[in-house]
Amino acid sequence: MAANFWASSHYKQLLEQEEVDVVLSPDKEKGLTLEEFKLIKMHMSNYIAKLAQSIKVRQRVVATAITYMRRVYTRKSMTEYDPRLLAPTCLYLASKAEESTFQARLLVFYIKKQYNDEKYRFEIKDILEMEMKVLEALNYYLVVYHPYRPLSQLLQDAGMTELTQLSWGLVNDTYKMDFILMYPPYMIALACIYIASVLKEKDTTAWFEELRADMNVVKNISMELLDFYDSQKIITEERISAALHKLALKP
Amino acid sequence: MAVAVPGQLNLDESPSWGSRSVDCFEKLEQIGEGTYGQVFMAREIKTGEIVALKKIRMDNEREGFPITAIREIKILKKLHHDNVIKLKEIVTSPGPEKDDNGKLDGNKYKGSIYMVFEYMDHDLTGLSDRPGMRFTVPQIKCYMRQLLTGLHYCHVNQVLHRDIKGSNLLIDNEGNLKLADFGLARSFSNDHNGNLTNRVITLWYRPPELLLGTTKYGPAVDMWSVGCIFAELLHGKPILPGKNEPEQLNKIFELCGAPDEVNWPGVSKIPWYNNFKPSRPMKRRVREVFKHFDRHALELLERMLTLDPSQRISAKDALDAEYFWNDPLPCDPKSLPKYESSHEFQTKKKRQQQRQHEEAAKRQKLQHPQQHARLPPIQQAGQVHPQLRPGPNQPMLNSQPPVVAGPSHHYGKPRGPSGGPNRYQQGGNPGGGYNPARGGQGGGYNSGPYPPQGRGAPYTASGMPGPGPRGGGSGYGVGGPNYSQGGPYRGSDGGRGSNMISGNRNQQYNSWQQ
Repeated sequence: MAANFWASSHYKQLLEQEEVDVVLSPDKEKGLTLEEFKLIKMHMSNYIAKLAQSIKVRQRVVATAITYMRRVYTRKSMTEYDPRLLAPTCLYLASKAEESTFQARLLVFYIKKQYNDEKYRFEIKDILEMEMKVLEALNYYLVVYHPYRPLSQLLQDAGMTELTQLSWGLVNDTYKMDFILMYPPYMIALACIYIASVLKEKDTTAWFEELRADMNVVKNISMELLDFYDSQKIITEERISAALHKLALKP
Repeated sequence: MAVAVPGQLNLDESPSWGSRSVDCFEKLEQIGEGTYGQVFMAREIKTGEIVALKKIRMDNEREGFPITAIREIKILKKLHHDNVIKLKEIVTSPGPEKDDNGKLDGNKYKGSIYMVFEYMDHDLTGLSDRPGMRFTVPQIKCYMRQLLTGLHYCHVNQVLHRDIKGSNLLIDNEGNLKLADFGLARSFSNDHNGNLTNRVITLWYRPPELLLGTTKYGPAVDMWSVGCIFAELLHGKPILPGKNEPEQLNKIFELCGAPDEVNWPGVSKIPWYNNFKPSRPMKRRVREVFKHFDRHALELLERMLTLDPSQRISAKDALDAEYFWNDPLPCDPKSLPKYESSHEFQTKKKRQQQRQHEEAAKRQKLQHPQQHARLPPIQQAGQVHPQLRPGPNQPMLNSQPPVVAGPSHHYGKPRGPSGGPNRYQQGGNPGGGYNPARGGQGGGYNSGPYPPQGRGAPYTASGMPGPGPRGGGSGYGVGGPNYSQGGPYRGSDGGRGSNMISGNRNQQYNSWQQ
């Protein structure tokens, strides 16, 4: 929303991988591994996307909500901020910040529809309470930049608009990881264009060269994303439940 | 907040997350009242610094944190400019329901949130409503230029203020003017595709396109309000004080002529045009009504009060107007006189007390009290006469306005283009005895209820339909920051004064444009 990413708090708050991949001590004490930590965040990103689909809000709201959630978990533990409550709350807050509001009771309704598991059950009051905690944890910085806008601009510039659908989908998938906390959005967009062009066997070498973007970063993002697609095949519901179960244990 | 060098993280940012408690501040006095809470002057206990606390009430909020507050915070967090109020931090106070252990966290959403702003001594309405207050022409130019500079910055950053009015323009004792109350502000995209609500801007300052029901609009809406304020400063009273929307439109048409496809192409397609289309022909009378304004002021005003929003002058072009670059030049804010603190909330209260007092006197003497009129600018293009200002200890309550120019004044004859300060003479207040019934307008830190006649909330937080890209971003660039970080976001100071050569005028406020 802001006119200038480089002057934004989003830019100023970009983190290093080592800062993002930290399991905070309350969670560590419960035996949560880094892998499980990432797994839960991925699962909750999917959960946010599913809820958003039922409520019918824009993709941008989903992206902002996931970003909020991931930011919160760089500062707060899952023990303190139950992921099953934080995820829908972030969606609720993001809907306000992105001007696509829906009512809290609608959210609660779809949460119930989505999961029979009572561990996922929350009332309006819980959401509103958590909303305040999220706002504080985010230090009221609510503006998030996403790769979608640069993506379309870049594709237009490259004259490769036929890659839009594929690369757009790839951008959606980047939210299953913490890229948005670590890289400027246009870099993420470039990586997705890069993967899409390789998959569709388009030669983009000249275009990328002309951009003078840091290709090392672009390739790093691309490799990580591709690794993720490989590893995702072995992710099962059981592993996620096991990880969430650990959080419920007394330390 | 410092802008980090590209490639570096900003390490100045406070490392601690989460907000402080409002107990860090000692409330001194209420200085404003708005729809979503009160505004207090307060002192930070640790530092002694005076701040303004704007309360965001959280009880009775069925939808949690109010979206209006979210908009305001989001916008204020990204605007950093000398002419935009600075949000220092956000503090919380626990709700009324503490649990037995004194644990506060649980009920935080039922407590209150306060936005902490830098403290400003006055708002423009409060200041100009002071008995005997008269602004000089350089002073008006100085305020107008700051207003336009701040607004231009907002517009470049794709923010519409949507409630520009005197009580939202705060002025400190250094003469700095800052835009405040972004409770109605919104981001916009340049293509104007979003459907925005037309129920914004206090009625008297609301542009014709909104009154005619358009939902696609841009920065021009703010510029209409600026025009109204500009004329008000020169004229000495609000120029379009409509009581309701039809009357407001009618007043606009009476002054600016009736809109048609010639002066406003496309106007007939605006939703309510046919309902409000005047039955008789109406001529534009801006030049006639304000013939006592000087030539350059009138020229600028004409371009601000242009019916067709697409032809209305932008903030950037207004800053380039001859008005600001001809004698007398805008003065240095620091050279402006210091006044005892005045906010509309307070002056209103004082006026109420004064009225009561006068009415009591009237009952005794059956004598008609003279109400104070807001006076047009004083005639000399110099500094304010010191004797015109009420001294800091002068009691405000019962003082009759020192009549300086007298209400029974000549309209200044339009002067020839002879130059020199004298041609800036302004006429007196033709109406006299004007009583600005400003009921319902909020103070500068507030989101005041509007329109002034106080009908139901015209702005529903929930229903803002319309997908489409909101708030476009043009700042993305490949290969590194492509904007100039060097220029600090300022344009309102430096190089002001009579030594200014017109050649450098653009540099002043172009440094942060892309």
